Amino acid sequence: MLISTLMFGLVLGGTYALVALGLSMQYGISRIMNLAHGEFMIAAAFCAYVLFDFAGLSPLVTLLIAPLIGFGLSWLIYTVMMHPLVKRAANRGQLEADSILATFGLLFILQGIMLVVFGSDFTSYSYLNIPIDIFGVTIAVSRVVAFGLSLFLGLVLYVLITRSRWGATLRAVALSPASAPLVGIQVDKVARQAFAIGGALAASGGVLVSMFVTFSATGGVVFTMKALIVVIMGGVGNLLGALIAGLALGVIETFVTSYFDPGLSLASTYLLFIIVLLWRPQGLFGSVRS
Amino acid sequence: MMLDIRNLSIRYGAHLALDNATLNTRKGETLAILGANGAGKSSLLKAIAGIVPAAPGSSVKLDGEELLGLQPHEIVERGVIAVPEGRGVFGAMSVEENLLLGANPKRARQGELTRKSEVYDLFPRLAERRAQLVQTMSGGEQQMVAMGRALMSRPDLLLLDEPSLGLAPIVIGQMFKTLKRIKDAGLSILMVEQNVSASLKLADRGYLVEAGRIVGTGTASELKSNDAVQRAFLGGPAAPALS
Repeated sequence: MLISTLMFGLVLGGTYALVALGLSMQYGISRIMNLAHGEFMIAAAFCAYVLFDFAGLSPLVTLLIAPLIGFGLSWLIYTVMMHPLVKRAANRGQLEADSILATFGLLFILQGIMLVVFGSDFTSYSYLNIPIDIFGVTIAVSRVVAFGLSLFLGLVLYVLITRSRWGATLRAVALSPASAPLVGIQVDKVARQAFAIGGALAASGGVLVSMFVTFSATGGVVFTMKALIVVIMGGVGNLLGALIAGLALGVIETFVTSYFDPGLSLASTYLLFIIVLLWRPQGLFGSVRS
Repeated sequence: MMLDIRNLSIRYGAHLALDNATLNTRKGETLAILGANGAGKSSLLKAIAGIVPAAPGSSVKLDGEELLGLQPHEIVERGVIAVPEGRGVFGAMSVEENLLLGANPKRARQGELTRKSEVYDLFPRLAERRAQLVQTMSGGEQQMVAMGRALMSRPDLLLLDEPSLGLAPIVIGQMFKTLKRIKDAGLSILMVEQNVSASLKLADRGYLVEAGRIVGTGTASELKSNDAVQRAFLGGPAAPALS
């Protein structure tokens, strides 16, 4: 029971981590708090469902397509909607307030479109629902694959951000946007890239989560909130922190669900969030902006 | 002629920070901009680097091409790099990462490794501390990081804003020695500096700025003996010899 809870928790946490990394890119680098982040994820989940049920396309193929669409759409949204806000914002606080209001609206637009197209019912499909035995726990192959891919994508991103020059330019913009132009960094371009990558990560997370979780058109908000909690728990801008915090949140939720009551899982998430905010507002692993 | 600045004015709202400044630098030349706090020296450098906008009618030409209106990153690509007051280093990153970012401009990629070893040769202190986070280093070391990072961009013209600010006298002495080596390597330097005697020792020529206007210019030795410079910066006219 203990090991199975841990494993199911890690699988769930892997996708939380991935979606949180996306939010962390958008918030930490582009300075946009994107409340519609979860809607991108749900849209990708529906995309995987439609392509699987009606076209017989494996979600693993969708995993190659959906992030590209997520990237392109986010690029467009940044250019059309966010860039004017960035340009007129006198300071960071104003941009945060403006972007929260703007993406709050975006949330309802995207959710409305999905409600019209897919209705409000819970949706799921059955892919790779083959039981296998790992450490004596019976678990579906789809979950194992989703976990492996989440971790893989998260670590690839982490290595790129921390080990490449391109990643260093992203961190430079996150750390000191005022100094970045001194080394020839085009802050605006980097912010757009980071926002688009965030959208791609949300889409990846959506496809992966759709492989083993039921989802609905109105479910995005919960994912956004969980991603936000993970980002703050891990420390804003701290990608490795977000990865670990994401896994931890998945495990904690699964423990509460199996040992106490499934109805308390969301409550436990927020309790954890409040504890972190009170006890370590800089996050469990500290912020890069410390 | 390398940098040709004509009628450069800078306004912050109603305040005229720089009024019709006209100056130029030749290739390989070191210029010192002298003046009291708030005279408009830093604004001059910021306008050249594209960080603050210039008023209409101003012109800053680099080898005949207009720089005004370009984005800061485009100006870096033209070979003009600024080390701002307060240094603008990436404190939460290592020395090595700061230098890596210094070579971010496209023009800097060619010969990057050679340049890095030159920078480490110029600042042996940094070579010893490649992996150290810059925010944990002393002010003098951070200034080395800022200069090393600037040199990594393969610049033709280095803009230095108060490089000695807040540094101990012995560190300032070392810094000017290093600047001499940078100058001897053929780089043009445009420097705003409160330490007038040290900067006039390094510079070929200088301009005197007062309340936003250029009020004097001359070779470094002319400026050293200029009454206004003497009075304002060098502690009055030289005391008559005893005996």
